[in-house]
Formats: sequence, structure tokens, C-alpha cells
Amino acid sequence: MSGQHIFLELILMPLLAFMIGLFLVLMMRKVRARIERRVGPPFLQPLWDIIKLYVKKMQISHGVIHDLGIIMLLGGYITAEVFLPVPGMSGFTSQGDIITLIYLMMVPSLGLALGVGQCANPNGSIGISRALTAMLAYDIPFIVVIAGACLYYGTTDLTEIIALQKSQQWGLLSMPILALAGLIAIHAMLGKEPFEIYVAPAEIATGPMVEMSGKYLGSLFVMQCLQIYTITVLYTSLFLGGGYTWFDFIPKLFLVALLPVMITVIFPRYKTDDVLRWLWKWPTGLALLGLAIVVLQG
Amino acid sequence: MSVLDLDHVFFLLIVNIGIAVLWGNRPFVGKILTLLYILEGLSILTSYHVLLSGAVLSSSLTFTVMQQTVQWQLGVSGGFFALITFMAAGLATWFSSGVWARSYAPIRLLHSYMALNVAAMLLLLASNDFLGLFIAWELVSLVSFLIIAINGGRSAKAAYSYILYAFLGAMAILLALIIIWNATNSFSYVEVRHHWSTMSVNRQLIVVLLLITGFGIKMAILPFHRWQAPAYAYVPAPVAAFLGAISSRMGLFALFIVLLQVVGIDVIQTLWLPFEIINMQTFLLWLAALTLIIPTFIALRQTDARLLLAWHGIGQGGFMLLGILSANALGTAGGIMHVFNHASYQAALFFAVFSVSYRTGTADLDRLGGLVTRMPISFTVMLVGIIGLAGLPPMNGFVSKWLIYKALLDEGMPLLFLAAVIGTLGTILSVYKLIHNTFLGQLRLEHENIKEVPWSMSIPMMILASIVFITGYFPGLLLESIAAMQSTLGISVVDYHLGGVNTGKGNLNMIVVVSTMLMAIGMGALIFFVLGNPRKQVTQWDNYAGGHFLTSDMRYQYSHNFYPGLMRVISPLYRNTIFWLESAIVSTVQFMAHISYALFMQANYLLYLILLVVISLLWVLAV
Repeated sequence: MSGQHIFLELILMPLLAFMIGLFLVLMMRKVRARIERRVGPPFLQPLWDIIKLYVKKMQISHGVIHDLGIIMLLGGYITAEVFLPVPGMSGFTSQGDIITLIYLMMVPSLGLALGVGQCANPNGSIGISRALTAMLAYDIPFIVVIAGACLYYGTTDLTEIIALQKSQQWGLLSMPILALAGLIAIHAMLGKEPFEIYVAPAEIATGPMVEMSGKYLGSLFVMQCLQIYTITVLYTSLFLGGGYTWFDFIPKLFLVALLPVMITVIFPRYKTDDVLRWLWKWPTGLALLGLAIVVLQG
Repeated sequence: MSVLDLDHVFFLLIVNIGIAVLWGNRPFVGKILTLLYILEGLSILTSYHVLLSGAVLSSSLTFTVMQQTVQWQLGVSGGFFALITFMAAGLATWFSSGVWARSYAPIRLLHSYMALNVAAMLLLLASNDFLGLFIAWELVSLVSFLIIAINGGRSAKAAYSYILYAFLGAMAILLALIIIWNATNSFSYVEVRHHWSTMSVNRQLIVVLLLITGFGIKMAILPFHRWQAPAYAYVPAPVAAFLGAISSRMGLFALFIVLLQVVGIDVIQTLWLPFEIINMQTFLLWLAALTLIIPTFIALRQTDARLLLAWHGIGQGGFMLLGILSANALGTAGGIMHVFNHASYQAALFFAVFSVSYRTGTADLDRLGGLVTRMPISFTVMLVGIIGLAGLPPMNGFVSKWLIYKALLDEGMPLLFLAAVIGTLGTILSVYKLIHNTFLGQLRLEHENIKEVPWSMSIPMMILASIVFITGYFPGLLLESIAAMQSTLGISVVDYHLGGVNTGKGNLNMIVVVSTMLMAIGMGALIFFVLGNPRKQVTQWDNYAGGHFLTSDMRYQYSHNFYPGLMRVISPLYRNTIFWLESAIVSTVQFMAHISYALFMQANYLLYLILLVVISLLWVLAV
């Protein structure tokens, strides 16, 4: 790869991720609105929201770490995008495997946690405490799923995993139980009901967002777009054979994001303890079962 | 460049001890000692290329007993650990050399014990047979006891329980050595390895278990994990950093030598525990995994920053053992690399925590907060340290942990991989609590006028933090010596380059990862700072409080019991069984000690002795 090519990918991959993420957010909000018998936002609403927040006159900073946390959070996801293979572009996937990617995805959480911590608002700190607890809850089934998939494919290189699925069959068909457990885990990862303990507007005043206004909140919106994109691409790469072209890749992403959204609206919110118990019981149990099947198949 | 032999290093160490003992109280001695440690480290570093090629640095010291010639020579593994030791000791002494020393009365004692510790450790690292190893091991135990007990009070109590464990460990090792001697008539590593198979399988099993008990006690593997955290937490700052960085790794070094060099991982793989329930390797791997998980989750519950770090030190020891026992080139490399990485960030973290307690007078996580505006350097060091300890990119902790995860996945051990990740997740939760409760959140009124620590304390911290970052950026710097270690031991060698490793089934190139991260963070900064309107900074009282006004006397900080939801779920698992058992044993021994002391101090103790003799005579006659 030439230097120019790499540079292009470095810019293009996060940018595409952001744009697709915007549409994923739009879709989620639309679907939610339709289930609640509302019309829902217009086409460019997610983008206008971000622009509006960035150009607000009042931009309240609570200190250097508040700003630094936001930068770390954006930077963490931008990095993650470059390590996610998409049709036509593989970025640096050959230089950092899926384990690297999972840990890169934790960097934004740390950034958010640091930024919120500096705000000195207990609502925010409680939100972070709950968010990290939720991370411990959903990452355990998720890691079992990753371990099972890596064991099945015999590699941790995402491009190879996708190539193997294209030549044989999709992970969804060869490891249905793991795929199901993974779907539940990403539902929790997206922070949708019933797992949205760390937002909980009625209890802790939206938790991490409590002191975020203006472009701080706008950056969190950007992060949400990138987060949904990252998680759906990761799931698609593991179980839906990645993308042959962009024309089948994007519908797959929307499908993966659609499934949690369609059921999330009917749920209330779990207590923190119940999130832990539920996620450690059902998806983890399923994932371990799927792992056992993978191991026994050899 | 002339190649130094080990005698020079030993000579420098003796000079070191001499200066510390004779002039330890003088104001400039700390700086001289720091220079000496750096000189010793450099003298090994200058001849490091010799070690890398597989040669050894020998010493002319030698003695012969029972036809066994004991001599000292430093190989590449010993050299690697020795470099870490000198780094830790040098920076710890530097930290204590300036303003800090004025507030610490027994500074001479501290310098002398530190120098003794380093010397004993070097003897251990340079030992070349079981006899030398055992002698050095006992020396290390003794001087560690001294340095742990230096403050008296709680740390003396911890030192007491440590010395009991150390006795147990020493007895175990001695027993193992007796069995080995009986079977092989030799103490040299090569001979023992050669004659290893002449022992019956049961003997082999017992020897391996005894050695793991003996050496494992030093690194506080389960179920001997209780002593370490209080022993390492309640000591002065430089001692805590030094002990936390390297002291307990001596146990790992000995285990590394025994398991990989003498016994061989292939033998461990073929040994089975009684009734063939479980393979020795699997058993040890799970022991390591539990040593990772249980102390990590004990750390999560601590409210004292020093104890929290000390408990993590035990947990990360489990990580190293997990890597070394994985019998995979990547895993072994990760395990050994984690020794260095852990030493660097653990020392940095201890320095940061002790800097805070130097200024505020407390390390209680419920009594701090918001110090980032007052102590930005300590904050940065702690941030780098916790990213390293949590094992997130771009710091060095990530690289070693990645190698271990990858090894466990490659060897087809998904559950151990899960255990390792659970340990990491617990660490992330716990270190966030550490940095949040210390540096983030609300600044307390009484800390309004706190200042950053003086340069003599902040420079060593910053050096450590940059080491954490640089070895994360270029892990090949460390992997070079690890690959040399692997080839001298005759195990499979990791395929490395400056940026990481190539496995063919998933690679890691930290240069690319970290450069991308730096660039992405630059992009994030560009998005955040250039776009949108300028920011306005507000005080911590300008906060959302549900319609109330915040005033400076109002405590508005969330710190105690940081993870209540999680604790409600997992607290039934904290049973403290081993804690009760250990306190019972320690109390019993102390009770016995008190009785014998009381008897001995009686003026008429002869009477008791005569009574004892008469009673035993009567008993003998009656039987």
C-alpha cells in the first residue's frame, strides 16, 4: 500500500463511519418513533442536532480533563474505525487484531469516565460507576462469544475471519448460539433499555451527560454514531460474513442495529443488580454453551 | 566498550551498602546512592549485548561444599530482572533523595535496607544452582522482612506474618532440595535437569508442588496471598514502590527458572495430580487465573489507595504466571514482559499515590478528590499508570496482556482467556475508582492550597511514566531480550519486530496502533477545539444540583462504595476464609512467642526448665 492510499483510508474510514452512524441513529430514532406512533425526526435531524450543539453560544467547560476526556473519546473511536475492515478498505486490520480492537473500544469509555469525573457532579460519577458496572456485565458474555468465534476460525485477524466466512459459510449458520448470545451482548453494549442503567434520566439526571452541554454533548452524539457503527460492523464481521460490497454491507449493519431497537421500546429499565444477574445468567450461559459446542466440534 | 564482569557489580553493591550504612543520614547521600544504582544498571546494560548472545557474566566468588561448587553468573534472564531491580531501586532512591528525606527520620535505615535488598536480589538473580538459589532466597527473605518492618506498627505486623509464610516456604524448598539431592546427587540446574527422570513420578510431583509453594509464597499466589498487600502498603513511599515493582517478582524469577529451565514445561505437561483428575499444567494455570481474579476483586473493595495498588500487584503476578505456564512462545514472552511493564507502572502508581499522601496526609480514597487542578503532574503519571495497569492501548501493559490473551486463545484455552479478561475488567473498574476518588470529582476545602510535589519526587515519576509509554510504543525493545531468554532456555522463540509480533493469525504492531491513536486524538482535538464556539471554564460549584445552589461548604462528591450495584451482587462471594485461617495461625504463633518470652524473662526460668525436665522424665518413665 502506498502512503497516499493509507492516508486516504485514515481519513475516509472514520468519515464513512460517522456518516453511516448518522443514518443508523436516524433509523433507530425513526423506528422508535413509529412504534410509539409518532412521525419521528426528518432525514438530516441527527446531523442538525450535532451542528446545533457545536454552534451554541454557551460552551461550559469544567476543566482541562473535561476537554481531554472528550478528545480521548473521539480519538478512541476514530482509531477503532481504522482497525475495522469494510468492503474495499482494510485499513490497519493486519497490524492489530480483534483483541486490539476490543481494547481500543474501551479507550473511549475511559475518556468519557475521565471527562465526567472532572465535572464534580455526583450524578455523573454515579452514571460512570453504573456504566463501568454495565461494561463488566456485558463484556463477559461478549468475550466468551469472541473467544468462541476466534477458536472456531482459528485466527484473531478480522480480515481472515471475513475471508473464511466468504469461502465457507457465515458465522451465523455455523455458530447460531454464539451469534444469539452476541446479539444480546451488543444490545446491552448499545445501552438500550432494559440495560440503560447509566443514563437513567429519572434517577441520576442522565448520568454521564449531566454536565455535558454544547459541543460536549455534540461530541457525545458523534461518539454515539461511531459506537453504533463500530459495534454493528464488528458483529457483521464476526457472524454475517462482513461485506462483499457496500450494497450488501450497509443493509447488514442496519439489520443488526434494527433488531435491538425493535424490542428495546417495550422494556422498562432493570436495576443495576438485575442487569448483572441477567447478563451473567442468560447470554453468558448461552455463550458458554455455544463455546462448548465449538470446542467439542474441534 | 569493555565488558564488565559481575565482580564489578558486586563491588559497587558493597560500596552502596557501605555508603548507606556509614553516611545514610547525610543530605546528599540519597543522590549519590541514586547515581550508584544507575551506574550499576548501566554496567549491566553496557555488557547486555553479551548476555543477548547467550553468554554469561561470571563472578570470581565461589565456594565448595559437599563437592558442590557454588558460583554466581548472570545470564540474560537474570540480567533482565537485574535491570528492573536497578531501575526500581534507583528511581525509588531518587524519589527519597530530596525533600522527602527531611520528613523521614530513619532515612539511614531505609537506604541501608534498600541497598541490602538490591544486593540480595542480585545474588539470587545470579545464582546458578539450587544451593546458591536457596542461600540467596533466604537472604532475600530476611532483608525483605527488615525493609517491610521498617515503619513498625501495622507494617511490622504484616512483616511478622510475612516471615511466617517465608519460613513455611523455606521449609518447602528445603524439603524439595533434599528430595532432589537424594535422587540426583547434585544441585546444579543442568545436572538436575539431566537426572530429573530418575525420580519416580510421585517424587517429581511432590518436588514441583513444594517448589511452587516455596517460591509462590513470595509472589503471593493463592492460597498464600494474604500477607503481601498489608506488607507492601504500609511502608514508606520509596520502599512501597521498590517492593511493589520488583520484590515479589523474585518468586516469579525462581519459578521461571525452576519450571522452564530445570523441570521443563514438557514435564509439567505430562505430570498428573493424584487420580489423574487434572494435569499439572492445567492446575497451575487455573491457580494463576485465580491468583489474578481473586486479589483483583479484593482490590476493588479497598478504600486505601496503597492497599488497592498492593492487591493489584498480587493479581498481576497471576497474569505473569498465566503467561509463563501457557507453554507458548507468545505467552512466555508476555509473562516475562509483564514483569518489566508491571514494575514500571506499579512504581509510577505508588509514587503518584504517595505524592498525594505526602501533600494531603492521607491515602484514604474517601477523603480525597479533585486534586487534578492542584497536582497535574501526579495526575498525569497516575493516568499513564492506570492505563498501563488496566492494560489498555497505548501503554505497555496492553502489549504483555495482548501476548498472554493471544497465547491462551492459540493454545485453545478459551476459559482461561475469559478469566484473564475478567481480571482486566475488574482492574479497569478498580483503577477508575482510584483516579476518580483521588484526582477527579470535587476538591475538598482543606485541599484548596495544596501544591504539586517538588521536582526531586516528580522527576522519577515522570521517567517511569515515559518508560511506560515508550515500551508500549516500541515493545520490540523488551522483546529482544525476551527472545534471547527463550532461545537460551531452549523453548520456542517469539517472532518479534520493533513494533510487536507477527503470528500469521493475528498480528500486533504497536507502532501502527499508537501512531494511529495519536493521529486520531489529534483529529479529535481538531474537531473539538476548532469547530464550534469557544469554551468558558466554570468553577466546581457551578453545577447541576437539582435546583439547589452549591456552596463551598457542601460535600458534593460520590466516592464511598463506588460500585454499589456490583457489590450487592458479588459481595456474598467475599468470604474471607483464608483471612480467618491466617489470622488464627498468626495469633497462635504470637501467643506461643509471648509465652516463651515470658518464660525466658522470668528470673527463675531455671525452675521452669527443671520442672519441664522432671515432667518429661516422669512421662518417659510412665510410658
